[in-house]
Amino acid sequence: MSIVTLQLGQCGNQIGFEVFDALFSDSHCPQRLCSKRENEAYQASCKERFFSEEENGVPIARAVLVDMEPKVINQTLLKAAQSGRWKYGQHSGFCQKQGSGNNWAYGYSVHGPRHEEPILNLIQKEAEKCDSLSGFFIIMSMAGGTGSGLGAFVTQNLQDQYSSSLKMNQIIWPYGTGEVIVQNYNSILTLSHLYRSSDALLVHENDAVHKICAKLMNIKHISFSDINQVLAHQLGSVFQPTYSAEGSFHYRRNPLGDLMENLVPHPEFKMLGVRNIPQMSENSLAYSTFTWAGLLKHLRQMLISNAKMEEGIDWQVRPPLSGLPTLGKTSLNKELHFNTSIANLLILRGKDVHSADLGGFKDPALYTSWLAPDNAFNVWKTQRAFSKYEKSAALVSNSQFLVKPLDVIVGKAWNMFASKAYIHQYTKFGIEEEDFLDSFTLLEQVVASYRNL
Amino acid sequence: MQAQQSRYRRGDWTVGTAGSGARSWEEDSASCMGRRRRRVDRADAGGALPEAIAALSRTLPAGPSPEIFRRAKFDLPEAAPALWRLLFCLLSQLRTNGASVSLVPEAQARWVKSALRSQGYPRRGLAQLPEDGSRGSRELLLALSWLLARGPLLELLLAQTHVWLGDEMLVCECKTLASPSLPAARVEAEGCVDIRRLQWLMGKLRFRWRKLMASQQEQCSLLGKIHSYTRGCHSDHRLGHLSVTETELLRDPEAGRQLLRRLQSENARLEAALEWRCRELVFWQWMDTVLGACPPESSWPAFLPRIPERGADELELVAGELQALQEELRAAAEARRAAWVSRVGGLGPEWSATQQATQEAVGQELTALRQAWERGGGRAQPHGPHRLVPSSRAGSGGALGAAEQALRRHACGLSTAAAGPRPTSRGGRARPGRGPGGPPWCCRPRTGATCA
Repeated sequence: MSIVTLQLGQCGNQIGFEVFDALFSDSHCPQRLCSKRENEAYQASCKERFFSEEENGVPIARAVLVDMEPKVINQTLLKAAQSGRWKYGQHSGFCQKQGSGNNWAYGYSVHGPRHEEPILNLIQKEAEKCDSLSGFFIIMSMAGGTGSGLGAFVTQNLQDQYSSSLKMNQIIWPYGTGEVIVQNYNSILTLSHLYRSSDALLVHENDAVHKICAKLMNIKHISFSDINQVLAHQLGSVFQPTYSAEGSFHYRRNPLGDLMENLVPHPEFKMLGVRNIPQMSENSLAYSTFTWAGLLKHLRQMLISNAKMEEGIDWQVRPPLSGLPTLGKTSLNKELHFNTSIANLLILRGKDVHSADLGGFKDPALYTSWLAPDNAFNVWKTQRAFSKYEKSAALVSNSQFLVKPLDVIVGKAWNMFASKAYIHQYTKFGIEEEDFLDSFTLLEQVVASYRNL
Repeated sequence: MQAQQSRYRRGDWTVGTAGSGARSWEEDSASCMGRRRRRVDRADAGGALPEAIAALSRTLPAGPSPEIFRRAKFDLPEAAPALWRLLFCLLSQLRTNGASVSLVPEAQARWVKSALRSQGYPRRGLAQLPEDGSRGSRELLLALSWLLARGPLLELLLAQTHVWLGDEMLVCECKTLASPSLPAARVEAEGCVDIRRLQWLMGKLRFRWRKLMASQQEQCSLLGKIHSYTRGCHSDHRLGHLSVTETELLRDPEAGRQLLRRLQSENARLEAALEWRCRELVFWQWMDTVLGACPPESSWPAFLPRIPERGADELELVAGELQALQEELRAAAEARRAAWVSRVGGLGPEWSATQQATQEAVGQELTALRQAWERGGGRAQPHGPHRLVPSSRAGSGGALGAAEQALRRHACGLSTAAAGPRPTSRGGRARPGRGPGGPPWCCRPRTGATCA
């Protein structure tokens, strides 16, 4: 089944390009560590999901590019076409002559309705090219102007038009010390609108990815392209094909659906985070060997201590003793900074994948009291290695990892709102104070629900 | 050899003489045949019965040997487990359409008892049998032949295991009658359940539903692709294209061999079924003697299922409520109608003329629809699966296609008339616009095109 990607705004388009590039490079990677036949099945599965066929053989990404300025889209289209390996469709892009000046309300109330028809037409054309549509993957930033406001509008529209298709929004959490003054307003508006109309929100924090680039990849001058490549690597390790069942060698038909069924069936808990291990520069890769035991131990501790990479993990954080009543557990967790999970999805790729011991992730202490590890923990596997890593593991988790950052953003936005700072920029274009209040209420509810796990 | 003087009549369950010890097939069948067909050769009579039973066994899934049947007549305990298994197999296949469930033999026996009771099996002796399979083979044999005699059991079973070569789709929309389903593992709720867990499970169900819909859509589009790619390949010109099974046959020789094996085994069962039909009279005559060999049932009337007291009261309550609701609805409808008539009655004669004209027009539309449907033979669709064959693009899809198109035109017209004018303006607050409602397979609101 196919996934149609929607690249919104500068952020979405740049990341989207890296994602397709990573997927393509991995599926055509020479070191496969598996048989030829299996590799062909892997390639076919990846191709069907993300690319469509063209007469002269160059695959076309199943994507729609939207931006209010032409610059980034043209750059993206050019970069893809120049590579010669894959490209975007000729008419898959939609752009206008001027931007929206980082004004969320303008993006939502003006750009959205004005350009609704052509954008949805493009999406429909792309959806019709698929034999079967699994769902939409929408890449956007949370705090920007065009990407955020327009993204919220488009996602709402998709919910009306394609109510039975799945929707996952990949959102970029802004830097804590971002340059845009109103980024907190934008963030809460985006989040609250998406929470209502999207099925899952996959969050990447700029700060975290930045640190990965600095510490693990040893990049001196970190550019956006480096950050996006790390991000794309993480997404690729989640969405590339995996076996459909334990012991099967057929690839999963509907990864988006399976992921959502396992992780976000509850309407109040939709925030997902990705961690993967190992992540390092190519030079270091040649000198490293890994064991599943070591990788999984680190990954588990990363989850528990809410670390985003395998360096600098706080090994003091431990799961609380079981047998405590639920109330006691919550307060104890808060003291220990223990990150409780609701559900986890572990994706293992590479050599000897069936021998990996998963006991550490099945510990009930990791999870909330109302969901047992049988329901809460799932694992996907494939023997085919990912992108030159002999063994790699990715963990998609629905956990408390965003409670603090979200609380911080809501707090800052509320302080600004209390003094009515910059509100006129929004009310000018139809976003009233009630909309702000609705957003605050919803997000406070989300924070409270996650806190009370 | 004239044996018992049983005055057994078919349908009379209370008469019988006591059975005697174990006898061979020859003696047994000769005794039952002797009264009726004296001219039949004895040796021949001895062989016909085991052959008939063997044919029956080959037709049934998990059919036991004729020896088991013979022992069952004399109520020998070693025949009981095989017959319990056979009954479970037959009844569960009918219920769950071939899905297999593994249960311990005691659970199987319990389930067989409840299934037979729900079907109306009249003999009380079955319910009193122990579930460990230590005895009761004669009673089980009687139950088996009751099932066989009652309805087209063999035909149903054979239909379920039929090897389909085409791509089939079910047309029938009948709801299957409720019946005792197979027992599932019971999960006891531990005290109070966290509501978040329930919400989680509900959400999972919803996602599975959506995944299922997506899979069905995928299956449809892939089927369409296979059918269009293999156009002109089939030797049967009416079909014109290959099905999935047939395509797989061509691609993979191993699949072809497996298919051949399945067809051969189905053929063997069908031949056995035909043989059984030819020979079954002998079996039924023998079953008469089995019934005769049973001790008479202690009391009459027949065994009725016990309705618990509490349930009967609740049923009456519900029936009363339903009646009250119906009365309410009738009263409300009357009031509405009266109000409307009084409002409309004052509008003058031309309104009543319009009203009459509208009613006539609606009546005409309905008759036209009905005629189109009947012309297309829509109502005469039999139940069961039908082989999928795509209609030709030229649109000459025959009577059914024409009827379908006429229906769509009518429905489109009616829905656009009912929807009213589209909302044209957008207010200050930006909200995504919504198109007019209507059947999703009909007009597409976005393009505004009417369906052809």
